Amino acid sequence: MKMEINQAFDKICKDADAHIKRLSLIKGPRISIGMATCGIASGAIDTKKAFEEALKEQGIDGQIQTVGCIGHCYAEPVVIIDHPDSGFPPIFYHHVTPGKAKMIVQSFLIDGDPLFEYLLGATKENELIPQIYDFPRFSQEKRIILQKCGIIDPEDINAYIDEGGYSGLARAFQLAPDEIISEIISSGIRGRGGAGFPTGKKWGFAREAEGQDKIMILNADEGDPGAYMDRTILESNPHQILEGMIICAYAIGAGSAIVYVRSEYPRAIEMISGAISQAEELGLLGNSILGSSFDLKISVFKGSGAFVCGEETALIQSLEGERGMPQHRPPYPVQHGLGNRPTVINNVKTIASVPAILNNGGDWYRSIGTKDSPGTAVFSIVGNVLHAGLVEIPMGVDLKTLIFDICGGIPDKKKFKAVQIGGPSGGCLSSDFLDTPIDFDSLAGAGAMIGSGGMVVLDEDNCMVNIARYFLEFTQNESCGKCTFCRIGTYHLLRILDRITKGQGREGDLEQLKTLSETIIEGSLCGLGKTAPNPVLTSLRYFRDEYEAHVLEKRCPACVCRSLTAFYIDLDKCARGCDACVGSCPVDAIFTTKNRKKGVDQALCVKCGECQVACPPEYNAVIRVSPPEKAPIIEKSVN
Amino acid sequence: MSKKTHLDESSNLFAQEEAMLNDIRCRLKDYSAERRDLIPILQMIQEKYAYIAPITIQMVSDHLNIGACEVYSVASFYNQFKFNPPGKHPVKVCMGTACHVKGGDIILENFERKLEIKEGKTTPDREFSIERVACVGCCALAPVVVIGETVHGNMAPSKVEGLILGFQIEKEKQARLKEKQARLKEKRDADENGN
Amino acid sequence: MSKIIVDEQYLEIIEGTNLLQACLENNIYIPNLCYLKERKEKNASCRLCFVEIEGMPKPVTSCTLDVEDGMVVRTDTPAVRRLQRTAFQLLMSVHEVDCAHCPANKKCELQKIARFLKLGLKPKGLDHSLRELETDHDHPFLEYFPHRCVLCGKCIYVCKKRNGRPYLTFAGRGLDTQISFFGDKDPLKLPCAECLACTLICPVAAIIAKTDT
Repeated sequence: MKMEINQAFDKICKDADAHIKRLSLIKGPRISIGMATCGIASGAIDTKKAFEEALKEQGIDGQIQTVGCIGHCYAEPVVIIDHPDSGFPPIFYHHVTPGKAKMIVQSFLIDGDPLFEYLLGATKENELIPQIYDFPRFSQEKRIILQKCGIIDPEDINAYIDEGGYSGLARAFQLAPDEIISEIISSGIRGRGGAGFPTGKKWGFAREAEGQDKIMILNADEGDPGAYMDRTILESNPHQILEGMIICAYAIGAGSAIVYVRSEYPRAIEMISGAISQAEELGLLGNSILGSSFDLKISVFKGSGAFVCGEETALIQSLEGERGMPQHRPPYPVQHGLGNRPTVINNVKTIASVPAILNNGGDWYRSIGTKDSPGTAVFSIVGNVLHAGLVEIPMGVDLKTLIFDICGGIPDKKKFKAVQIGGPSGGCLSSDFLDTPIDFDSLAGAGAMIGSGGMVVLDEDNCMVNIARYFLEFTQNESCGKCTFCRIGTYHLLRILDRITKGQGREGDLEQLKTLSETIIEGSLCGLGKTAPNPVLTSLRYFRDEYEAHVLEKRCPACVCRSLTAFYIDLDKCARGCDACVGSCPVDAIFTTKNRKKGVDQALCVKCGECQVACPPEYNAVIRVSPPEKAPIIEKSVN
Repeated sequence: MSKKTHLDESSNLFAQEEAMLNDIRCRLKDYSAERRDLIPILQMIQEKYAYIAPITIQMVSDHLNIGACEVYSVASFYNQFKFNPPGKHPVKVCMGTACHVKGGDIILENFERKLEIKEGKTTPDREFSIERVACVGCCALAPVVVIGETVHGNMAPSKVEGLILGFQIEKEKQARLKEKQARLKEKRDADENGN
Repeated sequence: MSKIIVDEQYLEIIEGTNLLQACLENNIYIPNLCYLKERKEKNASCRLCFVEIEGMPKPVTSCTLDVEDGMVVRTDTPAVRRLQRTAFQLLMSVHEVDCAHCPANKKCELQKIARFLKLGLKPKGLDHSLRELETDHDHPFLEYFPHRCVLCGKCIYVCKKRNGRPYLTFAGRGLDTQISFFGDKDPLKLPCAECLACTLICPVAAIIAKTDT
């Protein structure tokens, strides 16, 4: 049997290799364009069109290939051009607009000048251009989950197989299901969905659970605002996920599996659905996979936009056609899940790590990261940070290294204030915590959590009360409404925060925020309610002075909360003759007096800050102050 | 508007609704009558028609043999399902974290002010609707607005008016073109009749 | 039979009985709104029936536990009372307190809980606010008052049990959740005139029969 499986897989590999060789025989340059959602949103479609036109106009034979996302969102649209005839290595270009695309075709592909000003680096070692993998944003990463994202064509199963794909599955089939589970247990991998439950243990429970018709569900209902790594993985390398799912299903003895993915991710749905049919065609899915006696059918279910459905019992409810309301646990889904069948629900990143564990062994995985949190973690780092995007690091790297060394720190020489980790269920950590190693337990100890891996970097211009309010508004909107604490408790938290940011904070508000938060955590039914107050509690703990400034002095130290700030024009700096601010104001709140003084009608001003942007930097005359009384009053008509 | 065109329009609407119902009836055949197909069915209707009319809820409940209130209960739980048709140009303002940090709420307010509707509503002429959406995934371009299918990155309050104006100018242009064609046709008809 | 101790009282209970049920049947009152003996899936949504059990680190909802031999239960610890009081005050902060005009007056479950927990009906320290909801009032036999409703879901359960399918359900989400009668309002097609089970089970008179007057 084992031999037959090997033979079947060898044949698939040979075919893939031949297919890829055929592609590489095509003459001329090969242009790879990052076309995941983020790339498309940044204009990659126009860029692709520009390349196509330019190649045609110039009569160049070349291939344009679409790849997924490499995770360097700050640089989108991203293009890699492999042009061996030029003598240059493959070159990674950033911010490739259609205009730049045409210039690159002319200069590099025809005249042989790679346009050093537009390139980020080379993707292979060479003597001409620095290699991107030497930059900290690449060199300090450790890519297991994202390894092939943005490198291979996600729509071609052969590209994945040629890079060693599905070999983990072939190896899994050499083992008994229990041996796979021991391998996963020995790897020490913990669920990447947030709670960090040991994956091997979960699989073991499901395998032992009584009942036929077990089921495996991939949880890709990524709903955290600011976290998009699951989407990127699905869009950029869907086969790695399928491979992990098949291994999991085989290990627990499931005959069917479901990809539960948000309907807001149309491209991810397209990619994973396409990947399923390709895998079926090659006999990697369906009946007697690779000639074994194992059958598996994978279907796709689209989530309808309810954050709470990321909670596994709510997810099951929605699969059954019900309102996605969490249920009391126990019973746990591994015993009584979908249709009362034993069900394993794993996050995308967990499953994407499985093939590598099978290939390299549990001990290898355990050697990465820390003792209690082995492996790597993927973060989507956004906010006020230079090199925003997706980063995969070994667990245990500290926050400072991640934010400042790998992601380039804060732009515009601003001061770091805080980092919000784990989205609406996570917490805000101050600069005192920059040495904290990133792993499940250290972050939880500090009051934050890895959660889904969203990370927002905040600088001196961000208001912590405002950020806490933002996350609370999100969870309050997404509360399913079932249990009292989450439904009404988060509403009151939001009301209090709302009041504070509007300068209507009262004595006792901060105490109430704290006690109510603690009671909500203790009393709520599901994980959403139990973690919703975290952003409030941590910001209150580490930035209490900011809260106090809002409540006691009616002042927003970062000048963000609009009710507590005002704009004025510093007449000593103002050029007077220039009307940039007047023209920029969307509500006509800026006026000019007879002697050409500029004033802001505070009653009309909506505090959008447009005038501050419009005012030429050499004057920089628009000032924002808090409290608003600090703004000098200019009379409209001076007699 | 003359009485005749008014009547035309309402009978046109009626025909449209009839066509929608027939189409959905046809498509329902692709789905089983089991409860687990409820959400996929609602998604099909939402994706095809951008909203779920009360009358279609009845149809779905008949198909699955469950109460209409059960269908409504599920549909009203999820963000994806709308019960009113959106505007011709749905404005979706991203409220993801990166957009929030960069002032997404100010952009939303500007749209609300310029269009004189609140978020979640449609303008009386059904041209625009405003909606807050979760992260659309272009954090590097924050703040972001999606109008129809087009992503507008690095938004600023001052760009809002221009965007709306662009659609209005386009609409007027279309109207003028239509009028011109109508006049040409009238003239041609008159010429033909004259001959 | 399992022997358990609740608040220093020794009880003998049939093994596997629901803990909340066992306490209630032995005249040990634990506040609750959403618990129904015959409902198999426990709702656990009102978050009032907390107790502390020896060996468990935190208070737990008694409606989700079955009696086990040797259980030592406390229903009146400070931690339990703090959770119950907060949950109750949260419920009251969005409740229309107008007992004099409410048909549930004097038999209202909320009044009973308030007395038990020694709390007033108007929550202290929390802003009182009534949600703005669009509620339809065109049901031929029933009237619904969203600002009385505690969303216990008992009405939906009994309706479904009595009529084979529910004629009322939850609609909306989060704080906007309410009971909806969506669907055919033809009086001849509705079983409601004969049934009225929902009005009988409602603990707070949020659903009442429409009178002809």
